[in-house]
Parts: sequence; C-alpha cells; structure tokens
Amino acid sequence: MIAFIVISAVLCAAIVFYGVVVWITERKREVPQDDWMGQAVATKGMRAKDIDAVSKKQTVMKILVQVGLYVFLVFMAIIVLFPFYWMLISSLKSQSEYNASIPTYWPKQFHWENYKYLFVNVAEDGMFIASDFDLKTLFLNTVLVGVVSTLLSLIVTVLAAYAFARLEFKGKNALFAALLATMMLPGELFTITNYVTVSSFGWITDKVGIFTALVVPFLVSVFYIYLLRQNFMQIPNELYLAAKVDGTSDLKYLWKVMIPLSAPTLISITILKMMGAWNSYIWPNLIGGNIFQLVTVGLRSASFQNAAGETLFPIQMAAVVLVTLPLLLVFIFLRKYIMRGVSRSGIKG
Amino acid sequence: MKVVLQHLTKIFPSRNKKDKNAEVVAVNDFNLEIPDGKLIGLLGPSGCGKSTTLFMISGLQAPSSGSIFFGEDDVTKLAPENRGIGLVFQNYALYPHLTVQQNILFPLQNLKGENRLSKEEMLKRANEVAKLVQIDEYMNRKPSELSGGQQQRVAIARALVKMPRVLLLDEPLSNLDARLRLQTREEIRRIQRDTKITTIFVTHDQEEAMSISDYIVVMKLGVIMQTGKPQWVYDDPANLFVAKFLGTPPINVFTGRVEGEKLYIGEEEVLDVAGAEDQEVYVGIRPEGFVLDRKGKLTCAVSGIDVMGRDISVVSTSASSLNPVVRSIISADEMENITGDTVKFNLKQHKVFLFNKETESRVYFGRQVAAHEEMVARMKEEGQFFSSHEGPLPKEMVEKAEEPAQEKKGMAAKIKGLFAKKKSESAPEAEAKPEDETSQSEGE
Amino acid sequence: MDTERAQKPVLSKEEKKILWKARLSPLKAWLYLLPTLVVLAIFTVWPIISTVRMAFLADVRDVMGEQVYTGYDYLKDMGGMYDFSFSFENFAHVVGYGGFKTALTNTILLTVITVPISTMLALLIAVALNSIKPLRKLLQTIFFLPYVTNTIAVGMVFMAMFQMIGPIKSPTSVGIINNIIEAFGGKPVNWVKEGSSYWANMTVLIIYIVWNALPFKILVLLGGLQGVNKQYYDAAKVDGASRFRIFWRITVPLLSPMIAYVVITGFIGGFKEYTSIVGIFGDVRMGPPGSIGRPLNTMVGLVYDSIKSNQGEASAAALILFVIIFAVTMVNLYVSKKKVHY
Repeated sequence: MIAFIVISAVLCAAIVFYGVVVWITERKREVPQDDWMGQAVATKGMRAKDIDAVSKKQTVMKILVQVGLYVFLVFMAIIVLFPFYWMLISSLKSQSEYNASIPTYWPKQFHWENYKYLFVNVAEDGMFIASDFDLKTLFLNTVLVGVVSTLLSLIVTVLAAYAFARLEFKGKNALFAALLATMMLPGELFTITNYVTVSSFGWITDKVGIFTALVVPFLVSVFYIYLLRQNFMQIPNELYLAAKVDGTSDLKYLWKVMIPLSAPTLISITILKMMGAWNSYIWPNLIGGNIFQLVTVGLRSASFQNAAGETLFPIQMAAVVLVTLPLLLVFIFLRKYIMRGVSRSGIKG
Repeated sequence: MKVVLQHLTKIFPSRNKKDKNAEVVAVNDFNLEIPDGKLIGLLGPSGCGKSTTLFMISGLQAPSSGSIFFGEDDVTKLAPENRGIGLVFQNYALYPHLTVQQNILFPLQNLKGENRLSKEEMLKRANEVAKLVQIDEYMNRKPSELSGGQQQRVAIARALVKMPRVLLLDEPLSNLDARLRLQTREEIRRIQRDTKITTIFVTHDQEEAMSISDYIVVMKLGVIMQTGKPQWVYDDPANLFVAKFLGTPPINVFTGRVEGEKLYIGEEEVLDVAGAEDQEVYVGIRPEGFVLDRKGKLTCAVSGIDVMGRDISVVSTSASSLNPVVRSIISADEMENITGDTVKFNLKQHKVFLFNKETESRVYFGRQVAAHEEMVARMKEEGQFFSSHEGPLPKEMVEKAEEPAQEKKGMAAKIKGLFAKKKSESAPEAEAKPEDETSQSEGE
Repeated sequence: MDTERAQKPVLSKEEKKILWKARLSPLKAWLYLLPTLVVLAIFTVWPIISTVRMAFLADVRDVMGEQVYTGYDYLKDMGGMYDFSFSFENFAHVVGYGGFKTALTNTILLTVITVPISTMLALLIAVALNSIKPLRKLLQTIFFLPYVTNTIAVGMVFMAMFQMIGPIKSPTSVGIINNIIEAFGGKPVNWVKEGSSYWANMTVLIIYIVWNALPFKILVLLGGLQGVNKQYYDAAKVDGASRFRIFWRITVPLLSPMIAYVVITGFIGGFKEYTSIVGIFGDVRMGPPGSIGRPLNTMVGLVYDSIKSNQGEASAAALILFVIIFAVTMVNLYVSKKKVHY
C-alpha cells in the first residue's frame, strides 16, 4: 500500500515538475534575432557559451519531455490496468482476506479453489452458493450462438458484399445507400418490434426458439457488408475478367480469389462478431429469461451469495475473470485484426 | 552567413538490428564550405544523400558524426528552432487550416521574450515578405485555393519572414509543371539576390541547378563528386559520373584506349592525346564536340536526324559507345553533308574528356592539363568554392547501392502472386510473366 | 494480356458466354442478396414502420380500464378486434411518467460530462503515444484492453472496487478505492452501497464510462495522428513553435475531423448508455441497494422498462430518444462544420 502511494505521489510530482519546467523554459526560450529586410542580414551569431547553454537546455528539455510523456502514459496505463489487476487478485483471495479492513495488494494465499466452486457450486465452508450460475452451460450456449451466428453471417455478408461490389443490377446504388441509411438509426428502435416479432414467431418459449432468436435478427450487419464491399472493390476488375475468360464461375471466383484476398477483413469481422456474441447483454437478457442464458446475462443475474446471504466477492470475481479472460486472450493474439476492424469503423461516418 | 560542414556523416541503421550490412550510409564524410550570400545547388540522382544533407543542416536530422558551423558557431547540436534557418519543403508543408497570412505570421508568433514583435510589426513584416514573393493579393486564402506556384511562394515567404541566417529549399520546383518551374526558378534567383541570404537548395535536375546556382555540389552515394561554378564543372568534369550527370543531351561515352599518346576508339585512332599515359579509358564526348568531316576519324552509323531549328542532332550508333545511341549536335547548315549510312566526325579537343577505366577519374591531356591547372590556381587565388572527388568510390558501397530493390509488399504483390499462380494453373504459357517483372524492377 | 484478349472486337465462344452470363447477372445479384434482404426486411425495415406505428397507436388499456393491448397482441389480432386510432397518448404517458425526468437528466448529465473528459484524455494519450518510440506497441495494447472487455463483467469489478466492505459506519472497513483516498488524506466515501448519494453513484459511473470510452477514441485519434503529414511538425519545429503551440495550432486543427467524429459518436453512445449502469448497479434496481424508483435509469433503460409490458410506450420512448439523438447529432454536425478545418 505504502509503495503504491509513494509511486503515485512521485508520478504526480513528476508531472507537476515537468509542467513547471516546460513553462519556465518555454517562457525564456531564445530565438536568434536578425535584422529585418532591406538591411544587411545579420551575421552576428550566438556566442559559443550561449550555444553551449542552449544546446544543453535543449537536451535537458528533450529528456524531460520524454520522461514526462512516459510518466503520463505509465500513470494512465496503471489506471487502465487497475481493474484487471484487482479482479485477478480478488479472485484468488479468501472471503475473509477480501473482507479485511485493510485490503491486501497481493493475496496472502492463492485460493484457486474459488474457480473450482464456479463449476461445483460449493463454497469453502461447505455451504451452497446460489446454484444459479452454471458456467459450463453458459459457455456452451455462448460459444454455440457465437459460432453459428458468425458462420451464417459471414456467408450472408460475403454474398451481399459480392453482389454490391461486382455484379450489375438496376437500383444497386440506391439499395446500397438505403442500407447505409439504416446504420444511422439507433438499435433500440428495432429492439421493441423485434421482440414482438420473435415472440409472435414463438421464439421465446423454448431453447431452440431462443437460440434462433439470438442468431437470426443479427445475421445482417450493414456495416460489415460495407466493409467487405470496400475490400472487394479494391481487387482489380482485370482479375474478374481473366477468370471469366477462363470460364471460372462466379462462386468459384468468389471462393478462390475474392475471399483469400479479403481474408484480413473477414478475420476482423469474425472476431468482432464473436466478441459481440460474448458481450451481448440486452437482447439475450430480454428474450432468454432463465431458459437459455448467454454468459453475460448469467454473470449479471447470478447472486454469488452463500446461505447467509453474504455476497462471495472472490468467487464473483473469479467468474468475472473467466468471462473476461477469453476475450483478452483473443485480443492479445489477434490484436492486429481487431484494431483494424475497429479503426475501420472510423470511416463509417 | 557562411556554412561549413566538416566530416558530416549520416548512417541510417538497418531495420533489422542484427544485419549490420543493411545499414545505409546516406552521407559519407562530407566536407564543404559554403560562402556567404550565395545560392548553392546540391545536385545528384535520387538517393545520393542530398536531402539528408539539407535536413542535417536544418537540424531536423542529427548527423551520425561531423559538425555543422554557421559562421563561427557550431550549431551541430542545436535544435532546428535555435538555428535561425528557413526551410521550404518539397511539398511546401503549408498548414492547410491557416490562411496565407496566418501561415506567414506563424514563425513570427513563435518568437518569445525580447524577440517578440508587436502585432503591427508582425503584420508589417508579413506584408513586406508577401510583396517580395508577390503573393500579397492572396493573403486571406487557404493554401488549397492557390496554385502550386503560389503555394511555393507562400512557403518561401514563411521561411523568409523571420529573416533566416540560411535558407534551405528541398526540391523546390519538383511539384511544378514545366512552364511554372522555369518562371519560379528565376523568382527564387531574384529573391535570393534581393535578400542576400545564403541559400542552399536540393535538386536532381541538373539543368535547374546549373541555371540558377552560384555554385553547384554534385553528389553520388553520399560523397561529393565535384563542386564549383556550374560552367566550370560542366567544362572540366573531374570524373565520369559528373561528366555523365551534367548536360542535355547527355555526354556520349565510348570505351577506348590510349596508346602512344594517341586515343583509339575501337580500331580507329581518333585524337592526339599528348601527355596521357597508355591505359584503358572511357571517352566522354559532349554532343557539341563533334565536327562533321568527310576525312574524320570517328565513324558512326547514322540512324536518324532530329531537327531542332538552328541545330540538328545526329543520332548514330557505334559499337564502342556505352550509350545506346551517339548524339551529336551540329549546325543545321551541315545537314546536306550527311549522306549515306555512315558519318565521320572529327573531335573538338576541349570537349573530349578521358577517364581512367578503373578509377573513373579524369585523365588530362594536351592543352587540358595547362588549362585545368590555370583554372584551379585562379580559383584558389580568388578564394572560390571548388573541390573534386578523385579516385573510385568504395566498391562495396557501389555494390550495395545497386542491389535490386526488395520485393513490393501488400495488396498489389499479393494479387500479382495470386494472379501468376492462377494463370500458371490454367495457362502454363503465362509463366514468363513474373520474370518480366523482376527484370523490370532491376532495370529501374 | 488477358484483358487484351477480352477486349478483342471479334467475340469468341467464351466471350459470348460471358455476354450471355452478363444478361443473367441481375437475377443472380438478387439471388445473392436474398438472405440479406429477407433478414433486413423482417428485422430492420418492418421495425421502423411498426415502431413508429405502435408509438402513435392509442393505448387500449385506458379505454377498457385494464390492459388488453400490447404490440404482441396487436400482431395476433390483426383481424381488427380493437379500434386502434392515432394518438399521442403513449408519448404523454412516457413524458408524464415519474422516471422520465430522472432518466433524461441522468442521460444528459452522463453524456455531457463523460464526452469532454474522455475526448480530452484520449487526445492527450494519443499525442503522447505518437511521440514516443520504445514501449509504444505495449502501451497501445494496454490502452485498448477496455475495448475488448465485457461491459457488464468489468462493471462488476468497478462495483467491487468502489464497494465499502463491512458495516457502513465502521471506521476501519473501507474498499480499495476508499483506501487509496484515505492514503492521500481524504475521507472514505460511500460510493455504491445502501444510502450512497446520487453524485457518489454518478462519479463511479462517470469514471467507468470514461474508462470504457477511451480505447476507441485513442485508436481513432492515434490513427488520425499517424495520418498527419510529418512535415507539418518539421515545419513547425523549424518555425520555432513550442510544444504547446504545436499542439493547439497544428495538431488539434489537423485532427479536428477525427475529434469531431469521436465527439459525435461519443454523444450518440452517451445517449445510449445503459449496460455500464447495469454492470455496476444491476438491471433490477438501477441504483444502489435499497434505492427505489431506479434513480440511475437512462433513456434506453426507460425503453426496456416497458418493452415487455407496453410496447406502445416503449416505442414512444424509443422515438423520443431517437429524436434527441438526431437533434444532438445535427447540432454537433453544424458546430463541427464551423469549427472543423477543411
């Protein structure tokens, strides 16, 4: 704790110090002055001593600025990372250590069994915790929905993007513009009617129905179609003509040329789609109820209480870790594709 | 302000840290003393380190070793803002969100402390500079609303407004069309004369450099090949590279040899070269160095005649020529003298330069020896700015520079690869295609 | 060479085939688009029509004295059992509903406070990241982490961090954030527990929303910064501009399109804030334990409150939200057109 305070204090002091130094040096900075036009250009330079002083000041400033930048960034990074750190160490504490009045920054003893409890639903003292958190089923449900909806939506997206990028038909541009226009409407506008629609289809009463309702309404993402179309359009038309001369069918061309060339975009879409399934809360919560839950819904609705009605935070944190970790791992390994996909959304205007 | 560069060297580390061989020596032990108030052209093919030199003078790039002096001051370690320079970028780098006036005012508004000017003074200076470069009517426009030439002048105005000790221009004319280029280079000359600011500009266009510079510096692979007044460098090239680089149409180069003070091209004895030792040589002959003569000693096969008005250019071929064609410029009156498939030329002695085949440095002969020595003596006496590179460049340097460029990456290459693969699957005759491409990129 | 062959004036057999296929192409295009269009028709186009319609239908419950109508029933009973007439009643109910003012205030407050903070912080971090070399990739990755986390899950972590442990009034029992505050000499605050104040709750929400909003903004702004021609900075350096002046006179104006984009999307996202509150406070209470009346509800929350019970009012609330977002976006666009350079 003390170490943490000291570090924070030093960081803050360094930032303030940096600011003051910048302010002072900026205020006094010298610029060589020459005579103005019409008169001979001054050849008077700085004295050697001045040059030394100026270059020294420059170097000091440069180092200070770099140090300041790193201090700032590291400080912010600590803030960003802190919840992750806290979640991890909390998940390994015992209930009593977690509840200690002076929190520890590192578990005295690693209680890996907190994770085990998530699967067997038995707390440390033998008391049952609320058995409303069935991690295995939740994971399975989520992965199933994620995989199926990703695969189907990839097929749908590729076909649509191909039609918009390569094929000619009347009203293509108007239709595409209309699709883009729907991107501007907030999703809440659709949710209400969609809830009505899926319930009238009878998709909210049984597992299969709910599964369908979780997949089908989100099969089409106009944004992904747009993204992929842009990618397809970059592929030169000559390739298409050449393939046609060779007698390649459209579908074969799509499969053999367009898809391999657009692989990065397709990977981005896949990851973002899977992430979406993993993180989705509102829709699954609305239609799933207790019958077919996805992992986020399960996590939020579980109480993590023991028989005494006391919330077992370490176990809750262990659950949070297990829900968060897969995404972090995916991100660390496929960083490039995720960031590309997200930053591309910067053009969606 | 005199600018002195001492042993200036810039080495770009290789991207792959382990591969030391991949580091690039952009500027190699550069020594130069640039006199005060002159316009200097740094000239060379792309990749010769001329822009790097300019950026080191500006302070935007730090030299790996060596020093830079402005007058007596060692500015090597000073940041650009403390050097008192003006820099005009190749694509001008005008701030797109500021008007012309705001762009010009920008450097003045950065002045601090005792150097700070009053608002009126700033505006006055900005207006004066704008008048000097003749853009005062566009003060309230954004750069995007100006033509290339006007943007160029705004960039110069922005560089001049703080009255720099040295003005640096990086390829100032390369983004302009041909007509504008001609006009703008005169403009730059005029502005430089008016302000008398030591000006260094970088170009790959020898004509441009020759026409406006007081002195030119010819560079190759980071090494100075020759410096001096443009006309002198043209008339008295120190080595084959300089001879080849200057002049349009380019100099004609033949392989030849000196034997018993006679110069042979092929089997023909073409010139007396008194004082030259026996050796294998390259013979450089300026296009204007040919004299049509039925009894001439150099025989070439005529392949065409370009009429250029007052002059004509005889396009011919010779087995000994290193250029694909030999171009000679002669008076149009002599056109009728060209009959048949071959022409015979005599050579003007002072337009013929010999270069040792090994070192590629100049072999003086006959009257050239005395003329060269006299010129050098005079320039030394006048304290003029000249130097030349003798001897060959280090072999490994040349070899490295000639390595073929790495394969292009990204979408285009991928498509090509796929295309080639696809083609070879369906149509085997298309396999020659990738080869074509590599040979093209090597030729570049 | 293949293109040349394709462009020959005399049509080969293959080329005739292409032509023939080209005539069939429109049909094929529609075939390719079929799944997309079907899904969009049912789940995007129809909802637009239906939501607007439901919002403007009179609420039958009022006429009959009990609730017989929901949108779901309406679908089932298209036969015309009920007399649905055009009315503003749904809107009147939503606006008259006690929670409406709370939700609107919360939404506006959260948006207006978090967008400037997160934009400014993201800008500073992006500029700082752009001017360092070692560790840049690592730091960039760290700053992006919140984006790939589950809003609900990490919301629970924030709740735990701001939690007070043990009985409320016991002086020694405080959570980690309170511990840090105490270490700096502050007094522990009841952030999220029973009896916590509105502004304590809001502070936690603001911190969480900013934490969550940073990655996207940093990514976009950093992308923008890397797209800025480095020569502008070289030129500014030669011109002797100080770092602060470069930041304000060069970086910010050149980045203004990106900043505008980030602010506009930030406003839109802010008005749709919902899951972060659910993450921290749960969707049942939408407030600290023991609170009543969902004191931290937002406009989106308002929509979901009545989605199962009264789709007419939910639709009306959604339309109100849409109009607000639309208006705010228009104002944003208008302002940015004036301020954004280019």
